[in-house]
Amino acid sequence: MSELPPGIKLEKEDDKIMTLNVGPQHPGSGHMRIIVKIDGDYIVSCDPDPGYVHRGEEKMAEYRNYITNIPHLERPVIHDSCNILYPYCLGVEEILGLEVPERAKYIRVIASELNRCVYTLYWLAIYGIFLGHSTMFMWPTGDRELLIDLLEKLSGARVTHAYFIPGGVRNDMPANFEDVCIRQINYFEKRIKQYDSIFYSNPILKSRTIKTGVLAQQDAISLGATGSVLRASGVDFDVRKKEPYDVYDNLDFQSNTLKSGDSYARSKIPWLDMLESCRIIRNALEKIPKSGSVRVKLKPNPKAGNVETYKRVESGRGSLGMYIISNGKPEPYRVKISVGSFRNLICLPYLLKGEKLGNMPAVYWSLNYWPVEADR
Amino acid sequence: MGTASGIIKALNSGIKHIAIKRFTLRYPEEKLKFVGDGYQFDPVSGVGVAGLKGRHILFHDKCTGCQLCSIACEGIAEAISMVKVNEKWKQNKKSIMPQIDYGKCVFCGLCVDACPFYALYMTNDYELSSFSKEGLIYTPAQLQVKPNIEQDAEIKIDDRGATHG
Repeated sequence: MSELPPGIKLEKEDDKIMTLNVGPQHPGSGHMRIIVKIDGDYIVSCDPDPGYVHRGEEKMAEYRNYITNIPHLERPVIHDSCNILYPYCLGVEEILGLEVPERAKYIRVIASELNRCVYTLYWLAIYGIFLGHSTMFMWPTGDRELLIDLLEKLSGARVTHAYFIPGGVRNDMPANFEDVCIRQINYFEKRIKQYDSIFYSNPILKSRTIKTGVLAQQDAISLGATGSVLRASGVDFDVRKKEPYDVYDNLDFQSNTLKSGDSYARSKIPWLDMLESCRIIRNALEKIPKSGSVRVKLKPNPKAGNVETYKRVESGRGSLGMYIISNGKPEPYRVKISVGSFRNLICLPYLLKGEKLGNMPAVYWSLNYWPVEADR
Repeated sequence: MGTASGIIKALNSGIKHIAIKRFTLRYPEEKLKFVGDGYQFDPVSGVGVAGLKGRHILFHDKCTGCQLCSIACEGIAEAISMVKVNEKWKQNKKSIMPQIDYGKCVFCGLCVDACPFYALYMTNDYELSSFSKEGLIYTPAQLQVKPNIEQDAEIKIDDRGATHG
């Protein structure tokens, strides 16, 4: 949507316009195809074509009971698995009428914040390498290990944790986890503050991302953007603040917004969120009850009545909701997953129009899009 | 001016990293140390015990052949099948025990949650690669073996950065 340089005019679709398929196996787009029409170096129109990695998660959920749904529902975003299981667990708890112990709520918040950082670092590494900044690929990938180590101590798996369960979490925190967590989070915070000097104040990055792919505030609202994309355009909407779930209303944090709405702002919001996550984790570790149960005992095949529920949480990519309908059987009648990735993708054709083709990765990856999650 | 100061700032930040220790874990010379002996579950309290979800361990003297682990795996990976064993146990009248196909297992640990007799746990053993698909199928006799592995690398943090010491 940015202004074209003087003397350059976008022409109508004719022989001069070339169609370019970016993806679906091209590393520049992830597992999805972007059909780009270009006039010389400028993008005339773009048509994102998701669906290459559709796995039918929603249909699969109709054939499995509420517990065996857990391992496959986390597959769309394996590196943000706690956050994608969060709305499912909240919803199932509501329809089964389970009361989650206080300690489990705090552990969930800690795990989901750690996982949000793990996701954001992975995304930041990809964003860095596609802008040609290979240091920004190495550093987040290395620092991610600190948090993966914590999650592995907590849940027993490095990536696919299957840690959340309706009624709490699978196991309690191991002994002296608090100390290790505080130590590693403090070091991690020190590390990510250095990203500012090497990446965000880097003049080359700034020249490539500032004023590219500008999404105005009103456009962001009307296109239905969410998460970091929405907050980069100046709309203060964070599900953790607006509809606090579990114990987020007891915790001290703020949601970050920037006004410019360009690729630079969209890439900076997740980084600011990571600093906020460190605060949340430290705060949660202070307030967590020192002992108590972490899980409600479930029957082997729990059943709910004819009820339905919609719960949403703030994931690494924006609001992530699950709509669960039960018809009295052990399996859910319908599980609809509403993901942030898909909603942010709708903005892409508006952002890329009139941009240079070389700026496509800068705009596309700044949308915080994860193809596998959007296809479900 | 902004450009020059930005480049100097970035270079300065990079140069500081020359003095920082190497964070890379030199696997397989070093192996990460894990919490406990692997993921376990207490059916009485209904809560698990934190630990790595690695290969399973099966206690033959406790397994009753009730198939609950196999039923739990049905909708997930279908990795567990019950097979006949040539052993006579008082609690296991049918003499059947779980056999796990690690080509299918997703290491979620819900079979451990399903076992009411403390017979199936998980261990810290994660090096399960094999040259054939058949080699990934662990019989009850193989699952009985306690893994013997040395894992001692931990993340250490000091003024010069984090390292796997």
